[in-house]
Amino acid sequence: MDPQPVDGGGGVTTHEWSPPRVAALIDEAARPIPLLWPLSTAIAANPLWDVRDRHWASAVGLAGELFGASGYPSQELMIEAHRAGRITDADLAAADRLLLELRPEGPSADQSGNLERLSAAEAHDRLHGTDLAARTDREVAKWAAAHLGGRAEPPGARLEGNAEGFYPVWVRAVAADRTARRLGLPASVTHSSAVATVAAALAELGVTSEDAALVELTGQLARLPGFAAYAKWRSRWAAPDRNDPGFDLTDFLAVRLAYDTAALAAARAASEGLPTAAAPRHPAPAAARRAEGLRGDVEEAGVQMSAGSGTDRFDPLRWLTAYELHYRDRLLATLDQPRPRPTSSAPAAAQLVFCIDVRSEGIRRHLEAVGDYETFGFAGFFGVPARVVRAGSDEPLDLCPVLIRPTVSIPEEPDRRAALDTDRDLTAAGRSLVAARKGPVASFALAEAAGYALGPLSALRSGAPRAFQALRRFLRARAVASGEPVLVLDGPDAPGDGEQALYAETALRSMGLTDGFARLVVFCGHGSTTENNPYGSALDCGACGAARGATSARIAAAICNRPAVRALLAERGLTIPEATVFVAAEHDTATDAVTVFDPVRDVTPDVRHRLGRLEADLAQAGAALAAERAASLPGAPGGLGGGRGRSHVATRSADWAQVQPEWGLARCAAFIVAARSLTLGRDLERRAFLHSYDRAGDADGAVLETVLTGPMVVAQWISAAYYFSTVDPDVFGAGDKVAHNVVAGVAVYQGAGGDLRVGLPRQAVFDGDRPYHEPMRLLVVVDAPRSRIDSVVDRNQVLGDLIDGQWIHLAARDEDGFWLRSPGSGWPRWQAAADAVDAIAAVGPVPPGDAHPPQKEVITRG
Amino acid sequence: MDERWGLTPMVKVEVVVGGEDSAAVTDVFKAAGAVGFTAVTNVSGFGHAGYHQGRLAFNDKNGLVLLMVVLPEEGAADLVAGLRTLLDRRPGVLFVSDTYVSRPGYFR
Repeated sequence: MDPQPVDGGGGVTTHEWSPPRVAALIDEAARPIPLLWPLSTAIAANPLWDVRDRHWASAVGLAGELFGASGYPSQELMIEAHRAGRITDADLAAADRLLLELRPEGPSADQSGNLERLSAAEAHDRLHGTDLAARTDREVAKWAAAHLGGRAEPPGARLEGNAEGFYPVWVRAVAADRTARRLGLPASVTHSSAVATVAAALAELGVTSEDAALVELTGQLARLPGFAAYAKWRSRWAAPDRNDPGFDLTDFLAVRLAYDTAALAAARAASEGLPTAAAPRHPAPAAARRAEGLRGDVEEAGVQMSAGSGTDRFDPLRWLTAYELHYRDRLLATLDQPRPRPTSSAPAAAQLVFCIDVRSEGIRRHLEAVGDYETFGFAGFFGVPARVVRAGSDEPLDLCPVLIRPTVSIPEEPDRRAALDTDRDLTAAGRSLVAARKGPVASFALAEAAGYALGPLSALRSGAPRAFQALRRFLRARAVASGEPVLVLDGPDAPGDGEQALYAETALRSMGLTDGFARLVVFCGHGSTTENNPYGSALDCGACGAARGATSARIAAAICNRPAVRALLAERGLTIPEATVFVAAEHDTATDAVTVFDPVRDVTPDVRHRLGRLEADLAQAGAALAAERAASLPGAPGGLGGGRGRSHVATRSADWAQVQPEWGLARCAAFIVAARSLTLGRDLERRAFLHSYDRAGDADGAVLETVLTGPMVVAQWISAAYYFSTVDPDVFGAGDKVAHNVVAGVAVYQGAGGDLRVGLPRQAVFDGDRPYHEPMRLLVVVDAPRSRIDSVVDRNQVLGDLIDGQWIHLAARDEDGFWLRSPGSGWPRWQAAADAVDAIAAVGPVPPGDAHPPQKEVITRG
Repeated sequence: MDERWGLTPMVKVEVVVGGEDSAAVTDVFKAAGAVGFTAVTNVSGFGHAGYHQGRLAFNDKNGLVLLMVVLPEEGAADLVAGLRTLLDRRPGVLFVSDTYVSRPGYFR
């Protein structure tokens, strides 16, 4: 499509790029670009989320064209899996049958090599052997990093908290930059705005169609996908009222295009009359990577595989599918096993609601093995999308998944005023210390002034990390001497009773906890204690916006304990017995310690006794889980049974040199929407997100719709982030932690400079040179009638995209077994490949006499 | 348009898009010189793609949002062209109508 004629004023009609049209094209151009949340809230996101309307294989192909990315597990990994029996010939045959129906049509669906996707500067480089695009990369990366760090202008030129954008700051700063003059930029940029600069650049480059504009703009963004990904987050997802340096897509493109157009004009003037080069002298990184990737695809496709038919060329989609089918068959066979009969009809000692995070599966399994506990899975913000205004801080904390904005503001007050002041002083002192350590001059002064004190502390921290951590905790506790801050849920600043009751009702009904309440109900969030870890928030709770989950748990428990809320719930048919007490807790996934908060005041001796017993059982379950986990941690010694496993993980957690304190969500593979009775007693190897669901209480599918459009989407993001960080850590991963340099608290460089890195660090998914994470598309298992699932999918485009585009695999369970949703043929019955069902994991054998048909509902205990 | 009831004629543009695209639409609004807009989140309705739910409990991004902007006639053509470019490549509907405002200074 050509740009429409625009009335340029005075009756003159010209072909111009109007700012609104350019704004629309910028958004479209950014669709294949990943999203990059800042490190403080490092969300694991699907890097190709915005092209999910394509078939999965097509989106992967597009990423290959733009970034030179490989979107499949390597041939080497697949061969190894085949040798180890992780992929069988039966799996390959099943994959062949499946792909006969489901393989996307068209030669460009898997891997296509569209070398026309070059920006004007890249095309010039290709033709003339110049390195214009690479020079623009260097300059833009330099200024972008300086801007994000508040260093683009001299001290004092910029106000603290000024959110002014990249482009206007760059326009001022670049006026005095000699490098810019050498590259041909004028001393003053004449365009009034960033969007006007982009529009003028498109015109100057001779771009006359929207399709050509998209090639140019996407090509520009793909040159530095890390900075572009951060700009995309700022433009599309960040709260508009942030007070840190602005950095949107239009600003970023305007700066890039200002360099490119100036360089191209200078290069063309200089090269007039000269012959063109046959090949670039300095291939641009992204373009070179693209070409290499395409060459790799061609070579890879030519390799003969020893397995399978023997004559097949390596087909990465076929092998990936087989890899996934093998896991799917194992999981469904595990779930299809007869379930142990409930041994007691007595009420549970306590009911505990954990986050759906895969790491919760381990602590739930071990706790259920220790005592008579009933557990549930629910997103770790427990249904309250809260913005907590923290005591002693000006920065609010948004405690909800990034798919929603916080709708309720909850103030937090200190237990004691003096404690708040001390706490604030300590926090400020800590920040000053960090700032001084990183300052170019202040770091030397700091070493002179405080080295005598900090040196021994650093030695202690290195030699005895747990002792240092304990000392720090002790000193802070002595100085602050305060309990947990108080969350204000009553009074004029608090959300209304009706609103609170709505949150409680939605959460309890969604998880199927509507009757049979135990005396003690625990909301257990999770967080991860690690040291010196820029990606620490990636180990915290994604459902809490990559924050620790304790505060969300405390809010949910406090709401459910309020008499006014309970009265409103009772009016809506959800009666919580007066004797039931809600308590908050937090599972530290690095140490497997579970802390119980708010030991409720004025509780009965019975509840006090139950709390004591629960804490003891949680400690026992945590120790068992720590021993289980420790066995898989890199570099862990053998024989970590008993308390040694717990000691080992605690030391890793406190070690500021440890780059792999825990595995996070690595090896995540499935999302199961079902009552716990389906998974109870099964060892799911901490690989499954578990969302409780009461199919009998959701006839209209409203709860299922909430689960599939919210938590399932979050799980898909996590799964995809781990997948892509594993299959191509150079493009989609954050690189080696050892060489990380944090840029303005936003993201990391690998080494001293370059582009920001997206995705997860290499140590999050690799054990040495071998992938620890098994890269697969998420398997979603739903215990609900197929017609109900179809109805939910039909009315939500996002689910249709994910299922029909094969971004996820979907299985349903009903009284007759498991069924697989197939875009081509409805719901064929699940049938495992014959030799794939082996080594089914279960917690203890099921005595023949105890086997009974699958239950439909939650096991009730009273 | 003539002035009616002492009001000032303007153009009203309404767009219904997925929540994920609302920032793109408001960027187009701003690029056209609009100085404000109204957003109604989680709208429901029925159209050629079937029934669209209103609020999704735990997902604001995949529900629908109605965005409205009012601006003087002279900026409307560019705005509509920009929105059509956007909607050429993603789901959404666009309504343009004449309207009248009592405080024209709010919309310039």
